[in-house]
Amino acid sequence: MKRIALRPLPRILSARDRGESTAAIERENLRARNDALRERSRMQAESRLLVLGLAFVLLFATVGLRMGTVALADGTEPRASFVPGPAISALRADITDRNGALLATNLVTNAIFAHPPQMIDPERTARELVAIFPDLDEARLLRDFTGDRRFVWLKRRLSPEQVQAVHDIGEPGIAFGAREMRLYPNGRLASHVLGGTRFGTEGVSSAEVIGVAGVELALDEALRDPARMGAPVALSLDLPVQGVVTQVLEGGMRLMNAAGAAAVLMDARTGEIRALVSLPDFDPNDRPRPATTGDPSQSPLFNRAVQGLYELGSTLKTFPIAQALDEGLVRPDSMVNTQTPMQWGRFTIRDFRSLGREASVTDVFARSSNVGTARLALELGAGRQQAFLSDLGLFQPLPLELAEAARARPLLPQRWSEISTITVSYGHGLSISPVHLATAYAAMVNGGTMVTPTLLSRETPPAPGRRVISPATSVQINEMMRRTVTDGTASFAEVPFYSVGAKTGTADKVNPAGGYFRERVIATIATSFPAHDPDYVLVVMLDEPVETSGTEPRRTAGWTAAPVAGEIIRRIAPLLGIEPEIARSSVSALSQRSH
Amino acid sequence: MSYLEQNLRTIPSGPRKLLHVNWALVVLTVTVACIGFMMLYSIAGGSLRPWAEPQMRRFAAGFVLMFAVALVPIWLWRNSAALIFGLSLVLLVIVEFFGQVGMGAQRWLDLGFIRLQPSELTKITLVLLLASYYDWLDLDKVSRPLWVLVPLVIILVPVAMVLRQPDLGTALLLLAGGGAMMFLAGVHWLYFAVVIALGSGGVSLILASRGTSWQLLQDYQYRRIDTFLDPSNDPLGAGYHITQSTIALGSGGMTGRGFMQGTQSRLNFLPEKHTDFIFTTLAEEFGFIGGITLLGLYVLIIVFCVVSGLRNRDRFGSLLTLGIATTLFLYFGVNMGMVMGLLPVVGVPLPLVSFGGSAMLVLMLALGLVQSAHIHRPRKVL
Repeated sequence: MKRIALRPLPRILSARDRGESTAAIERENLRARNDALRERSRMQAESRLLVLGLAFVLLFATVGLRMGTVALADGTEPRASFVPGPAISALRADITDRNGALLATNLVTNAIFAHPPQMIDPERTARELVAIFPDLDEARLLRDFTGDRRFVWLKRRLSPEQVQAVHDIGEPGIAFGAREMRLYPNGRLASHVLGGTRFGTEGVSSAEVIGVAGVELALDEALRDPARMGAPVALSLDLPVQGVVTQVLEGGMRLMNAAGAAAVLMDARTGEIRALVSLPDFDPNDRPRPATTGDPSQSPLFNRAVQGLYELGSTLKTFPIAQALDEGLVRPDSMVNTQTPMQWGRFTIRDFRSLGREASVTDVFARSSNVGTARLALELGAGRQQAFLSDLGLFQPLPLELAEAARARPLLPQRWSEISTITVSYGHGLSISPVHLATAYAAMVNGGTMVTPTLLSRETPPAPGRRVISPATSVQINEMMRRTVTDGTASFAEVPFYSVGAKTGTADKVNPAGGYFRERVIATIATSFPAHDPDYVLVVMLDEPVETSGTEPRRTAGWTAAPVAGEIIRRIAPLLGIEPEIARSSVSALSQRSH
Repeated sequence: MSYLEQNLRTIPSGPRKLLHVNWALVVLTVTVACIGFMMLYSIAGGSLRPWAEPQMRRFAAGFVLMFAVALVPIWLWRNSAALIFGLSLVLLVIVEFFGQVGMGAQRWLDLGFIRLQPSELTKITLVLLLASYYDWLDLDKVSRPLWVLVPLVIILVPVAMVLRQPDLGTALLLLAGGGAMMFLAGVHWLYFAVVIALGSGGVSLILASRGTSWQLLQDYQYRRIDTFLDPSNDPLGAGYHITQSTIALGSGGMTGRGFMQGTQSRLNFLPEKHTDFIFTTLAEEFGFIGGITLLGLYVLIIVFCVVSGLRNRDRFGSLLTLGIATTLFLYFGVNMGMVMGLLPVVGVPLPLVSFGGSAMLVLMLALGLVQSAHIHRPRKVL
């Protein structure tokens, strides 16, 4: 670039030489110089600005590009890298009682698991997890979190408080998987009916709930049927009644020092089971593991009312007596030989308390004579006896909606000899469950037709089942059962203002090693109420009861099972809407007819 | 007698000056400010309080200030540049002793009607002084070491004072703005090459020293660098700002969720949603199109400033306008880069849009200076 001097000396000097004014030259020079300077600075500024402008453009382009990539990226949430597997339907229908009270429902809880690669602070996380779940091992957690495992299960079922606490740790490497949990809001109540569930196929975000026992297993398909749309399954149980029966039976069991107990309350006309209790019971929310050793029938999981097959003793006497009446062999006032002991071949049959040389059929029933019943059974013969008992459903497993029922097949004598006929007539040699007994009694007391026992609520009453005895015989049986309470072995089952009919039975327990235990009994009572036209049948069974208030221990059903049954009826009869019989007119009418 | 004063006769005077105001720039300024009001209204959940209304009042005051500054002859500003810069330094010293601490580090001077942040003011006064200096300095001397040292001192004194506050972001902006002024004035390439080489050498040395016996920074400082380079390393800690604002930007998509429909910003996921990170709200509610529009408006503001500066044949006016354009550019270049996770979070507001008093006033002052240079530019004498 050409530089212009501040003063153009050569031109000034030559102008001065020529005598011209130098002012114009100086001014012109100054302007040219200024123009040149300005031009230079402008050019420089422009080149510099080009660089700066390039930087501007670059940054703006970067920002714009970045904005574009961020804004136009698919707005998907970051997903965990593992494959969650196929979706698992966790929909399981609720279970309610006959009035819609909830027995089983689902609760959404969370499982937690860890993704160690995504963890920020494994030490702190392990420490705080152990603070929430003391059963976890901190050292092991830390090893899992810092090793190369990509997935670690931590807990399967969490309470909402625990979920919140884990959430508050704020560790992104810990994730929650929602899952439905089966919840039994009534705890132990009706535990043997409901059974329980467990997780089946288990994914991260859901888990299958499948039934393992009871109604949950028997109705598993129906409960999980998506076509149900989650409509609840209504059972025939009546929750308040179930509660009372459980409570009284528990108290009775303790009072009678029994090892176990069972009770079945059945609608005598429809076969619907209103209450079914087996003690000891368990909490289906926390179902114990089945014991691998020992006697499974001693486990709380064992349903004595359905799975338990017992020789129920004298309660079975009703059947040969009813059959003899129905066949017209005897009438209630016919006299029967009750000479005890009775010798039959090499067997001796004794009565617990002698009735004398002979007694009426009603007395044989009410005072429970083994000898009298045996004589009637011998009159009937093995063939008719078996046919009748088979008709009562005592030879077949119960058609009940419980997974356990199908496996409880009654135990029959291997060879039905005459002595079998005799022993079965008073309840030995044939092992049935308390529900079997209740079903057969329902047919005895309801006018003589069979019912199908069920745990499902029946919307319409079923058509009457097959007739097993005539209505007249059924009336006679009701009268005899009432007599048993008023003048017989079941006097402790008497309930003020309610007429109860009953038949007791005390059977020595079968010793698994062979023979019978001497001092271990099954005390059973089958009751019906109101006695003159029973709506309900209640069977109460106590396993190895012993009543010790007297001078010597008493084990008979009349002393143990009868008062328990009486107390149950006293408390559930109002719940079931049965009117108290204050005038007792029907009862007196009944007793007049029987005399 | 300067070139400028020779041309006095051609420069408008009195009310006629208003005809020569760069009105396009004024319209752009008002438009961007209005976008800011809208966003502040939306963030408050559809309410003028607590942000939109004070912001509007401040903008009105700033608007008046801009015209007042614009009508003052540019040579008056040039001649008093040193005085004004000295005044801003005094304010920086005062704030050092009497200032109020807010947001952990920023220092404010409560003047009653406004809470002034002297470091903001310094950004403009520094440009003013440097423009004045290079106007005064003979062009031949610009690259001589002694004359390079003078502006270096001018820049480093306020930088050191701001660093003490400590406000790293503003200090870096001052450094970059001052450097840009020197660059524009024509200081030789070599100086910049040396500084850049030294700087990048230092950074790589620091990074190389990590984990060795002569480690230059503390461990936590290295972790901050890591987090900046990959915010997903620490999504709940230092990377939180960036992660959340990126989520907001992404959720806006192409056209956004619609005015007042942003969730990310309204649900308080975003820090500083009404100040430094206000751009995320805009991007969430108006999407990519809204963001690009604002970006375009800023580009236009800068282009108008640059064109005005280039056409100005007065060296002071030209340097001042270009310097202010650079400062403006640094402001929202850094802010947007920060919001989009391209730059570390340093706490730079989005000019004209972010809620804040001193930033707004200082910005209007700067635009007033640009207008003044524009109005009083020398015209060619026929």
